[in-house]
Amino acid sequence: MTRKELFDGVQDIFRDIFDEDDMVIEDKTSSDDIEDWDSLNHINLVSAIEKEFEIRFALGELMALKDVGAMIDLMIEKLK
Amino acid sequence: MNEYKFSDIEIGLEESFEVKIDASKMDKFLDISNDINPLHVDSNYAKKKGFPGRVVYGLLTSSFYSTLVGVHLPGKHCILQGIDIQFSKPVYIDDILKISGKVSYINEAYKQIEVKAVITNQENKKVSKATIKVGVMDE
Repeated sequence: MTRKELFDGVQDIFRDIFDEDDMVIEDKTSSDDIEDWDSLNHINLVSAIEKEFEIRFALGELMALKDVGAMIDLMIEKLK
Repeated sequence: MNEYKFSDIEIGLEESFEVKIDASKMDKFLDISNDINPLHVDSNYAKKKGFPGRVVYGLLTSSFYSTLVGVHLPGKHCILQGIDIQFSKPVYIDDILKISGKVSYINEAYKQIEVKAVITNQENKKVSKATIKVGVMDE
């Protein structure tokens, strides 16, 4: 799976969780940019990504992430 | 009350219980919600609309999803974080419901579980189903 395909899949998850069909995310998008990205929706995002891509994250890995791009990079590492 | 800790929980863990929906539960729910829709409070109206009697409030039956996670799975250490419910059949007064749940996903990082739950009636017909997200507090 290419980074673009992975990114598009994550964007679909964002659109579903935040209920915005036209939401566009970027590598630099973070919780500061999305008003509804609170702690519960953060868990919802992580759970949806884990299930969709059949990967598992550790708490320490998640705490180190600063934006969407870092999440995508971590996913690429896990999917290798 | 069950007291499952996060470390006790695995995919496939199941719990269930039964409850009878008597008229007093309908009265109490009416008092709490003030939902005076005639389908729930007027048996003649309900019969005119083709139902055998008053239709039990969907959110009354769904309140037992709260009981499922708060008392049974995981029980004491539960924090209800989200629920998605779909209704499939009406429930009537004096129906006996079985509420069942099974752990379908575990988020290890945030100690959250998902419980796939169903409510069936005394004829073993599914009246609703739900996906419930539950945080499990440290003991």
